[in-house]
Amino acid sequence: MIEKESSRGTEKKGENMISVENLSHYYTQNQVFAVKNVSFQVEKGEIFGFLGPSGAGKSTTQGVLTGLLPLQQGRVRVAGHDLSHPKRTMFNKIGVSFEQSNVYGKLTARENLDFYAKLFDVPTMKTMDLLEMVGLDKVADKKAGTFSKGMKHRLTFVRSMINKPEMWFLDEPTTGLDPAIGSQIKDIIRQENEKGATVFLTTHNMQVADELCDRVAFIIDGEIKLIDSPRNLKLQFGQQMVVVDHLVQGQRKTEQFSLIMDEDKTRLNQLIQTGQIQMMHTKEATLEEIFIKVTGRGLE
Amino acid sequence: MAEKTFQKLWITFLKDLKLSFNGIYFYIEVGMAVIFTLVMVFVVPENFDSSQTFHVVLDAEPAYQSFLRNLFESEDLGQIQFHDDRHALHQAMEADRSSVGVVLSMDAQGLQYNLVLQGYESPRMRTLLKTLIEGELLSQTPGWSGTTDTRVLEPDSERLTDRAHVLPIYLTVNVGLMGLFIIAAYIFLDKDEGVIKAFAVAPVHIWQYLASKLCIMLIIGLGSSLLVVFALVGRQAHYGLLLGATVAFNLFGSTLGLFIASFFDTMVKAMGALYLAVMVLMIASVSYFMPSFNPLWIRIFPSYPMLFSFRELLLSNGNAWYVLQNIGFFLILSGVLFGLSVHRFKRSITV
Repeated sequence: MIEKESSRGTEKKGENMISVENLSHYYTQNQVFAVKNVSFQVEKGEIFGFLGPSGAGKSTTQGVLTGLLPLQQGRVRVAGHDLSHPKRTMFNKIGVSFEQSNVYGKLTARENLDFYAKLFDVPTMKTMDLLEMVGLDKVADKKAGTFSKGMKHRLTFVRSMINKPEMWFLDEPTTGLDPAIGSQIKDIIRQENEKGATVFLTTHNMQVADELCDRVAFIIDGEIKLIDSPRNLKLQFGQQMVVVDHLVQGQRKTEQFSLIMDEDKTRLNQLIQTGQIQMMHTKEATLEEIFIKVTGRGLE
Repeated sequence: MAEKTFQKLWITFLKDLKLSFNGIYFYIEVGMAVIFTLVMVFVVPENFDSSQTFHVVLDAEPAYQSFLRNLFESEDLGQIQFHDDRHALHQAMEADRSSVGVVLSMDAQGLQYNLVLQGYESPRMRTLLKTLIEGELLSQTPGWSGTTDTRVLEPDSERLTDRAHVLPIYLTVNVGLMGLFIIAAYIFLDKDEGVIKAFAVAPVHIWQYLASKLCIMLIIGLGSSLLVVFALVGRQAHYGLLLGATVAFNLFGSTLGLFIASFFDTMVKAMGALYLAVMVLMIASVSYFMPSFNPLWIRIFPSYPMLFSFRELLLSNGNAWYVLQNIGFFLILSGVLFGLSVHRFKRSITV
């Protein structure tokens, strides 16, 4: 059992913040199951990635977990609350950041956060601290309707952490942001996780998941195909390769060699002996490659 | 706990109030009230001049002619023009197609009268004219042996001025039923912006969200009704009853709007149902303008008691009990509709 010291108290890995058993959900319009018999657990203090292409069932699952969609079939517990009998007070422990920005365009950034903070029964973070965190402090008194898409997204993101959530749901938190801001957002997620927040990260961006997540679940067609840590997945499904740039009769040639296959190992040794190598580096499989390998489908 | 609950409602209400001031619907409603008031005060007269010209030919002895002439002039019959013969009367009536004529003559049987009409008058109108001639005028002549007996059953009966008569219609439509559209627009605007989802993942109840919208509608309804009523009838109205009726009827319109909106996910889809609801509810206005047409089925429409309650509270001797009964009834109805709306929105607001 791993223990993390944090400002939110001693977090003990092993306790479940989310427990999902045989969850199924369908939309009445078409009676087709968007999520089928899904089961998984998310431990306290963990960053759990929920990965899949558009329409895989990620948002539906998150919708049920956050109470936005009714629980139709299965058993779900979030932050100690049974969602078959949800209580509004559970949202004091939960934060939700949406993929689509949803702030009041006719209110300023400060007013948006001030209003939201007052809805909670628990101590909340200071509005200006939050705005400063994502670089919106200078436009605090501008109406959110005048913001760019990225600025609205950042405002939606910091609003979700206003109540210092124990369980933090993030839906595509870096989508549409420039790399610098995206990196800033990832740092904030790491920091909050270190303070004890459990994170449920829904994304189709495998790089973000690879960087942040302790474990990931691959979901496709409403079914979870696999759950494990990125490292284990790479060990299990990735093939360790060495990429070599070498000269053949004065011409540069690039070749890949497996470190598992004997034939490749012998050939690599020969190449090293001849001394014609210009550049050599190892290459591990990406999560995206593993996803494609496991599900047989791409992410777009 | 209760304090916290109402604190959150208050916070949500203040936010909605701010959004309303920044939005268009608030100004539409207030603008409508101002335009209506200005039109009614500066364009529409206190009472429409509906007097009809009476063309009269007196074919009698000079002494009797003088008596009859005085009799006609002493009654409030609007404009009266006397003519020497029937031909002159016909010409005058051709020139003024809204006028009516009467020829009075003496023969062996005594005083006779002939009504000269344009031809479009309904049997009811003809009877009315006959009653007027016989009951009001000829019954006062010596030796008249008519059978028409005119009795005023309610000599102190009150009537609204023509200008004030329009007010109940305005109040019912603008204060009572327009809320139906506007509250639905507010809900769908929040759905479009997605802010409803952010609200749904905060520790607040859906009833607080909906009640806040009702309060906004109430503020707008009360503001516009008080403005219009005070500008048009001054201190003549019962303001206590007006407040009660506005609150009850406005809540009814708004909760009905919420209930209808709960079945749809966009304003475009809801528009037809909302429009139909307003049209159906306004059927009772037929009775308001034609009081003799008030069958039971038309009195069932909510706008019937709304219209007549507003009328009663504008009269200085109006039936306060009738208004109070309706206020109570509509408050209960609003409570039921609100409960149903909350129940439905719990399932559908974020779907």
